[in-house]
Amino acid sequence: MLAIVEGPIDVGGLISAAQRPDCGAISTFVGTTRVDENNGASVEHLEYEAYKPMADRKLEEIGAEIEERWDVREVSIVHRIGRVGPGEASVAIVVASPRRGPAFEASRYAIERIKQVVPIWKREVWSDGYVWVGSQVGTRTFTR
Amino acid sequence: MNAGYSVKVLLFGAAADRAGTRETQVHAGETTLDELWPILAERYPDLSPMRDTLAFAVNGEYARGDARVSPGDEVAVLPPVSGG
Repeated sequence: MLAIVEGPIDVGGLISAAQRPDCGAISTFVGTTRVDENNGASVEHLEYEAYKPMADRKLEEIGAEIEERWDVREVSIVHRIGRVGPGEASVAIVVASPRRGPAFEASRYAIERIKQVVPIWKREVWSDGYVWVGSQVGTRTFTR
Repeated sequence: MNAGYSVKVLLFGAAADRAGTRETQVHAGETTLDELWPILAERYPDLSPMRDTLAFAVNGEYARGDARVSPGDEVAVLPPVSGG
């Protein structure tokens, strides 16, 4: 499953769906909302947006790259958009492979590629303003 | 404006924030991204300082400044991506 979704990600369901008799390893990466603090303020939630048709295609490309490089039998990448609360999953990657090495490597590759090429943007909403991560554009007077 | 001779421009993230809009039309014939940029920068002055950080897509694929843009195409203004 390669998808951009608007609601909570069913991480357990993705893992269950990846269990299969020809695989001895499932590697899972889950990116979650971290509450950073500085200057007496803290992150209240994150908001993600996507250029969806292009983001869908880039996820397909990443899936294809992984299948070309590693012996994997199941690759799921699900990225959530919209508002994501503290501790909630914004992205989940599940890779099943006959052996653990390719599963670990492929899941790491997937998250790094997402951060390079998939047109998704994250806005940190702080108690004292907001910041577009990566652009440092926003309303906070003190930005990192 | 004749929609048949315009390019749809989508803006995302910090670029939409700075421009104050998520979509606009630019009247243009056969052109390139590099030729389109000054029109956008003039229309949305707050976008100008972001120029060096931006990437662009034409019809949903990353494209360089010299990429051709034709009427009816969809151009996207993409700040540094920050998914994950």
